[in-house]
Amino acid sequence: MNNTIGLVNYGIAGNIHSIKKAIEKAGGKVKVIEQVEDFGNVDKIVIPGVGSFKDAMEELHNKKLLDTIRKEILSKPTLGICLGMQILSTLGYEYGKTKGLGIVEAEVKPIIVDAKVPHMGFNSLDVKHHNALLNGLENEEFYFMHSYEMVNYTDIIALTSYADHKFVSAIQKENIYGVQFHPEKSREAGIQLFQNFINL
Amino acid sequence: MRIIAKLDVKPPYVVKPVHFEGLRKVGTPQELAKKYYEQGADELFYIDIVASLYRRNILFKEIEQTANQLYIPFAVGGGVKSIEDFSKLFHIGADKVVINTYAVQKDPDIINKAAKIFGNQAVVVNIEAKKWGNWWECYTDCGRIQSGKDVLEWVREVEDRGAGEILLQSVDHDGRQRGFDIELSKKVVESVDIPVVVTSGAGTMKDILNLALEANPSGIAIASLLHYNKSTISDIKEYLKENGIKVSK
Repeated sequence: MNNTIGLVNYGIAGNIHSIKKAIEKAGGKVKVIEQVEDFGNVDKIVIPGVGSFKDAMEELHNKKLLDTIRKEILSKPTLGICLGMQILSTLGYEYGKTKGLGIVEAEVKPIIVDAKVPHMGFNSLDVKHHNALLNGLENEEFYFMHSYEMVNYTDIIALTSYADHKFVSAIQKENIYGVQFHPEKSREAGIQLFQNFINL
Repeated sequence: MRIIAKLDVKPPYVVKPVHFEGLRKVGTPQELAKKYYEQGADELFYIDIVASLYRRNILFKEIEQTANQLYIPFAVGGGVKSIEDFSKLFHIGADKVVINTYAVQKDPDIINKAAKIFGNQAVVVNIEAKKWGNWWECYTDCGRIQSGKDVLEWVREVEDRGAGEILLQSVDHDGRQRGFDIELSKKVVESVDIPVVVTSGAGTMKDILNLALEANPSGIAIASLLHYNKSTISDIKEYLKENGIKVSK
């Protein structure tokens, strides 16, 4: 299994540094993807994401990556992290309505909960379907940092509770995975998750 | 509740300000960050406490070296005065950027702009509160300059502007290790819907428990107690857990 992981770098907001570091610690080789041509030499794709849904989609559009990234995601094992998972949806409601990549039937909406938002801190997972990405990590805690959640009914692999509110914390559609939390910020459990992804 | 280690940095050392005045060196940011990460800190805050005061630029290299060894969230502040500063800090490994002086003295719109570009969760506003009778005033430049702003009004304003978190410091309690300003913490937590991280004043684990029970902040940032090896992060988490406070593993 070849393991060059293409880490998509889009926009000024993306913090790819810590994800790159974590994948390398897990034993993976990272290639940063800045333009369409860079996709050629990678076996897997990681989509990071810091910032807003709207800005992220605009940046992908401005960098002329939209069509290619869609095709690449459908043909290679992919992991979307936080906003990187959210933009796999059909529609996002952050700073107005924005169309997402449309890979997963889902919408991204503000978290409505009787507690402080953003939801920040370590939290556990309730794994609903056994899967390769979260294998062995069922009892671990991961770091969350978000004000929006993905609303999806068909591809859920894990849920998380925040002050009695349940939300989607991980999804899978064939070889496409998304996690709402930040594995690169989740101590050893996060490194293990990247190892699982490398071993897919 | 999140247990956060806080490094007050006067490069190249982590210092412990005593009541915002005298400074004691306690180690380098790199060695202390590693130590607290290994002890199980949920997050790390790195504040350059003299950058604003000295009107000097952020020392990115120092910060990058600290960020490199961490696999937990890393918040950085001190001397932040442009969107470019935010962007550079995120690129070298910060997950959140902390701002105070520039937003208070020059341009509060920087909060709105940063939140729009980087997301609310990445923008932390630091409050340096000083008590006057029945109100608290916002200070800047490491507790030296008055602003005339009322803390409770300002925290609501920064929330409206898009801040994702408050780091609440008490000028009166900082470095004294005699307990937190509970009344202030309670009022700020009640005033906003965003998370509040309280700092300044932990002298014992009991002080932390009292704060958790009385004010229920989203996080507590600890400095002296850790720097002087009076307690470790794992001691604190264990103690809070025994007393019914939910903390991470």
